[in-house]
Amino acid sequence: MNRNNLYESIGHIDDKILERSEKNKRKKRHKRSRFVIALAAILTIAIVAGLFLAPENSPIVMTTYAIREASYPNMAPYPVESSPTFLEDYHAWSESVTAQKQELGYADNLKNFFTSSIQQILSSETSSNRAYSPLNVYLALGMIAEITDNNSRQQILDLLEADSIDTLRTQATALWNAHYRNDGATTSILASSLWLDDHISFVPSTLDTLADTYYASSYQGTMESTEMIEAFQNWLSKQTGGLLDEQVENITLDKKTIMVLATSIYFQAKWESEFEKSQTTSDTFHSLSGDITCDFMHKSTDGTYYWGDQFSAVGKRLNNDGGTMWFILPDEGVSIDNLLYDEQTMDFIMTRSERNTDDWENQKRLIINLSLPKFDITSQMDLAKDLQALGITDVFNSKSSDFSPLTTDMKGISISKVPHDVRVAIDEEGVTATAYTAMLLMGAAPPPDDKVDFILDRPFLFAITSDDGLPLFVGVVQHP
Amino acid sequence: MDDQQIVELYWQRNPDAIEQSRKKYGSYCFSVANNILGNCEDSEECVNDTWLHAWNGIPPHKPKVLRMFLAKIARNMAFNRFKLRSAKKRGSGEITSVLDELSECLVNESDVESELIAQELGICIQQFVRNLPTREGDIFSRRYFFTEPISDIAKGYGLTVNHTMVILSRTRNKLKKHLIKEGYIHE
Repeated sequence: MNRNNLYESIGHIDDKILERSEKNKRKKRHKRSRFVIALAAILTIAIVAGLFLAPENSPIVMTTYAIREASYPNMAPYPVESSPTFLEDYHAWSESVTAQKQELGYADNLKNFFTSSIQQILSSETSSNRAYSPLNVYLALGMIAEITDNNSRQQILDLLEADSIDTLRTQATALWNAHYRNDGATTSILASSLWLDDHISFVPSTLDTLADTYYASSYQGTMESTEMIEAFQNWLSKQTGGLLDEQVENITLDKKTIMVLATSIYFQAKWESEFEKSQTTSDTFHSLSGDITCDFMHKSTDGTYYWGDQFSAVGKRLNNDGGTMWFILPDEGVSIDNLLYDEQTMDFIMTRSERNTDDWENQKRLIINLSLPKFDITSQMDLAKDLQALGITDVFNSKSSDFSPLTTDMKGISISKVPHDVRVAIDEEGVTATAYTAMLLMGAAPPPDDKVDFILDRPFLFAITSDDGLPLFVGVVQHP
Repeated sequence: MDDQQIVELYWQRNPDAIEQSRKKYGSYCFSVANNILGNCEDSEECVNDTWLHAWNGIPPHKPKVLRMFLAKIARNMAFNRFKLRSAKKRGSGEITSVLDELSECLVNESDVESELIAQELGICIQQFVRNLPTREGDIFSRRYFFTEPISDIAKGYGLTVNHTMVILSRTRNKLKKHLIKEGYIHE
């Protein structure tokens, strides 16, 4: 017998012991450093009063109370690895995850909406960071379609390519469920709510539809009261894990507003393959307004490198089926706006699905030396003009709008503003700088050898896609 | 995609099984192979061989733990490659130190390698590791199955390098006694 025999024989160690050694190791590592990606978005649509058709018929109340509460699906908790009932717990968890999944292709018709809205909303001549949640906006528009009729509704159905309100409802429910995860390990909730002024009677069946289809809760109170504003801000803060508190504090409700519709996404997940804290270095990012120094995380892994005529891209998986974050780097000389309006780039973003076989032509499996700046970006935009540019005009105009499914008390109701606040943070605790030599960046040509340096040291696009391939968030990082 | 679905794809002889395995475990198998070979090109080839062996092995196998099933194949592929190339002194992985440490468990090494010995010895080692306390078993597995550097193991379990070396040394002594007791080596 020799050392080789012994080494080979060690290959017979039980799988469960090998797994245990891995889990125990990972547990310790998580205690030492956490690498987390956290994202939140809110979209609030303020709907302002028009002319009362009926005298005030509701008493003014000074409390804010829930009139419809949406109930979320129950999910089995993510199993505790050391529990004696691990296998049973795992089975229950796995079943509840499968129950949320939808048929492949259930949202294929939304690609045009996602593409046109990403282009409209993210393109800008300014050098600010921007981020947009297409799913968030989709759900908000779906709800607006529920509370409007005639041409006001039709414009939304047209944009979302739904042939009827029923088709939209079915798809919205499917989409909501596909992106719902609340198992203690991953949190992803598309929460919605309606804040209604108690001077006005709202159509109860419409509120029921919103609770059943969009899981939206409704609250009623005196719009400008401190209590109502506090309740509203607390709801937004809770739904976004406190990530957007600074923005939330500035959101108020005024007397003219009769209803506010709020949708939010809160998403938190860990990288499937973590960055080593000790590899993080301080380096230069070439922003449009000049060079800045920021922390770059580094990781070398075996992965797929993609390229197009004007970009190169890599994806980084999020743990626990949490989806993938894609980093899309424009080639030298190509602006972010060029990329947004490049058909091939948008096609790339729209076809990223973990559940489909990836047939992107320009891809190669190799060792990727990824250098990614740590960033925590906040984006604040009013989407009113963008939505109008996308063809939704009637609801913004008190003369042409039709909000009859919402209330019969008044006419001339219109949407006044559509603020969309997003924050995306890639977080790491603690930094130890070590020397790192940045190498030349690969352009759009196929990578030459077996490895590539993918250095995101100038403005880039990112997209976070769910396992279905739908874009949860898309953004532009100009300043990490 | 979860592991059972991937295994199901192998059973259906659906080539997507390989693509899904590659997506989920490509970098994992790469690191298993690269710990042994310390050479990206060779490790990458081992990973590609791993999918071929998995394709040939499932069915008849229906692995309960796909990750470890693939890890074992990748480890075998990499070690075979190491043996073939060691004559050419190629590669500088952790494996050389690991093998030197393992030789401490043996009294006299024979050049004769036998698959039969490896099989029987495998069961003997399996029993030995089962009876180790959790932490010793884990650290032994990380070092001698996964071929990880001692510093990485120490970091992973929140220990000092010195402490980890002491634990490994004690476990090797225990293994030597076990091998003597089972009649594989003679004092």
